[in-house]
Amino acid sequence: MAKLRDNYETSLWARFLRWMKSGSKGLERSMIRALEEEAEPSQHSEAEQLALEKAREEREMQDHERERAIQERLHLWSKTRGARLMTFAYRLAAVVICLAVIFVLLSSVSMLPEFGRSDNPANNEVAARYIEKGIEETGAVNIVGGMILNYRAFDTLGESHVLFVAACAVMMLLRLRLDKDGRPTREKLDAEADDRKYEPHNDVILQKVSSLIVPCLLLFGIYVVFNGHLSAGGGFSGGAIMGAALILYVNAHGLTRAGRQPLFGFKVFKYITFGALAFYSLAKGYSFFMGANHLDSHIPLGTPGNILSAELILPLNIAVGAVVAWTMYSFYVLFRKGDF
Amino acid sequence: MDFLSMMLLAFILICALIVCLTRNLLTSIIILMSQSLAMSVIWILLESPDLAITEAAVGAGVTSLLFFVTLKKIHAIEGDSKDGKAER
Amino acid sequence: MMAWIQFIVGASLISAGVVVLALSVLGVFRFNYVLNRMHAAAMGDTLGILLVLGGLIVFSGFTFLSLKLLLTIIMLWLTSPVSSHLIGRLEVHINERLNEHVREVKH
Repeated sequence: MAKLRDNYETSLWARFLRWMKSGSKGLERSMIRALEEEAEPSQHSEAEQLALEKAREEREMQDHERERAIQERLHLWSKTRGARLMTFAYRLAAVVICLAVIFVLLSSVSMLPEFGRSDNPANNEVAARYIEKGIEETGAVNIVGGMILNYRAFDTLGESHVLFVAACAVMMLLRLRLDKDGRPTREKLDAEADDRKYEPHNDVILQKVSSLIVPCLLLFGIYVVFNGHLSAGGGFSGGAIMGAALILYVNAHGLTRAGRQPLFGFKVFKYITFGALAFYSLAKGYSFFMGANHLDSHIPLGTPGNILSAELILPLNIAVGAVVAWTMYSFYVLFRKGDF
Repeated sequence: MDFLSMMLLAFILICALIVCLTRNLLTSIIILMSQSLAMSVIWILLESPDLAITEAAVGAGVTSLLFFVTLKKIHAIEGDSKDGKAER
Repeated sequence: MMAWIQFIVGASLISAGVVVLALSVLGVFRFNYVLNRMHAAAMGDTLGILLVLGGLIVFSGFTFLSLKLLLTIIMLWLTSPVSSHLIGRLEVHINERLNEHVREVKH
């Protein structure tokens, strides 16, 4: 019987009765408690907490001493003769490099064609051809989409690689790795604790509104990506919208909860970015190869205006959008916490 | 060049100057945000809505978010606590 | 006749919205404390936007454009109060000298 009574305290009916009795305040409190419990899943005992605190204090002391030693060495080194010579050489090199860059830029400006001449590259036949034959050749109603993903697809490949390389660089600089034993390092634990301090644990308003808005934003982003060859938009715009929606979700619900979603992991980021870029390169490489050798690439052009038309533009838009969205999200998470 | 786009261009110029000249980093980030918002309106006036969407999402949203997070990381956002200790 | 009614209703809505927006800008400049300023700015964000976009809806009649404007109103009414709420919450949480500006109401 005793067990039954224990169960009764936490059963749904009893909680409902308590909620009815306590009015709106009890609801708020129970929501806050639930969210806080969710935010901090690991509850250490007091002894463990004390030991952890002690260890952290010791580490901080060690850090402090090391820092002071480094500063002393720096102070001593800056008084030596080598340091002064080094400073002088550095300043000299800076001035020389600056003058060289100015010279190169000015000389290249002086070689530019005269402004407003009729045979300048700006008024040649390329732009007219894009406008006149764009729909016929690429099958895209949106001329800009046809231009950046068909005529100049190589440019767009470079742009997506710029994003990829930037994400790689941020990861190299800011990502906090695991130990050799597979445990999180001290910096990582500190960063997580620091981050958890600022997470909005119990902002019910923000969470409700974001759970209303984030699906709409994601849907809008997907629409912009899929409609890139029909209306204004495309991979970059749609990817930016989706990335902003993901960042909003993380800000509203906290990283601990977002980390449990399958879409937000590091592995997913890795596979999606690599897959999208590899698909882009392979597809465009195939199309370039066939086009350069005057072969038929067997990709149907479709009727302009349909959603399944304009040969490769739709899949390329999807690839670019995926890269942009996940890169943006990973930037934000890496800047904020240093890990996924 | 109509009146509205001239106003917007002047706004962008003034914003860019203020971003360089303010001492407070937080203020300059917020002004940069408003600058890129005006820039997105200019893209709309130049009839390129795709660029406007990208500018609004990247320039006004994500870039300033990244700046905010960086300022928080390096403790450069000054709180108004009495001892002048940088918090938040 | 119909067009005249449409024009008068739309123009009066838009001018009322512009007045509200101007008042909110004035409030942002005149008030001294964050929460007061936030109150003024939020008024412009919700009521002013509603009036201006409602006037535009009246101008455009029953078209697809007015549906889009309605969606814009819904989006702004969802998001801008939340941002005001977050600003106020942050101010209440991190300001240590809150009692100088705010009087707590007990109930």
